[in-house]
Amino acid sequence: MLLVLSADHRAHLGCLPRAGGAAVGELGRLALEQLRRGAAPRACEAAARKLNIGVDTIQHGVEGLTYLLTESSKLMISEIDFQDSIHVLGFSDELNKSLLQLYLDNRKEIRTILGELAPRLPSYHSLEWRLDVQLASRSLRQQIKPAVTMKLCLNQNENQTAQVLQTDPATLLHLIQQLEQALGEMKTNHCRRIVRNMK
Amino acid sequence: ILDDPDLKDIDPTVLKHCHAAAATCILEAGKQKADISAISACLEDCKLDKERIEQFCTEYQETLTVVSFSIGRSPLHITDVSWRLEYQIKNNQLHKTYQPSYLVTLNVENSDSGSHPDVSFSCTMEQLQDLVGKLKDAAKSLERATQM
Repeated sequence: MLLVLSADHRAHLGCLPRAGGAAVGELGRLALEQLRRGAAPRACEAAARKLNIGVDTIQHGVEGLTYLLTESSKLMISEIDFQDSIHVLGFSDELNKSLLQLYLDNRKEIRTILGELAPRLPSYHSLEWRLDVQLASRSLRQQIKPAVTMKLCLNQNENQTAQVLQTDPATLLHLIQQLEQALGEMKTNHCRRIVRNMK
Repeated sequence: ILDDPDLKDIDPTVLKHCHAAAATCILEAGKQKADISAISACLEDCKLDKERIEQFCTEYQETLTVVSFSIGRSPLHITDVSWRLEYQIKNNQLHKTYQPSYLVTLNVENSDSGSHPDVSFSCTMEQLQDLVGKLKDAAKSLERATQM
């Protein structure tokens, strides 16, 4: 699958051949830092001074590289597709090779960062349980009522919430049976076939 | 009871008092798990005749089990669980993710208001295995407790 680069994008990346080999390495590093930590205008200014190029050009170059890397990692394009996609920019072979290397070295990390942007439901963190027997209450004396009290900890957008829940023994056994069935589903032929064919 | 044809000759206020008194008597007796002799003694003190005492006690015994377990407060009670297994292919930020995941919903009941939004969460296969393992530990300790 080929990456389609717009005219603006190509213009931004156009500064790369003029900048030279060392500059490409520097811009690559800046692009990755931008992905990890966000835009850093001061780092761009420092690079502009060091390489003797305008700040705007540096900024555009970094943004162009960032976009190229994120789109390629997102689509997980193969080496050949990547090479064909940047071939259209008309860069030298050496530049193409360094760009390819930059992509291959960092795509796993970029994919992890992109993975954190996906929409998420509250996710399971842990469960603590306790066996209780209720012996009496204000409304009823002399009972024997077993119950399992649980604290379910969930993660939602970096916040942890804890919910206290209770269940009786019969429901507990039912829960276990249902969830074991759920686990068993992944091992059925149907699911295995889909996982195999979707790679 | 106000619409009952057998009772329409009685003054409604008296009827309400009788109903309230009977209900309180049943609840208190149930709360204390009083046996038949205790209830009879109590009713005798209230100057009811033998026949009425016998009738009351029979009715009481029939409703006893219903009363025992439906009163009291407690934390949210799990009544059922539903689950969904999905295989993620892509999202708008990342293509070719290829990850299985489970979405589990615990149907929950509140003793006060009777309904409550269900507790839903997603988890990976390993996390679900962890959850099931912990639930099985709880069940095992329940079994051991009943054998003591």
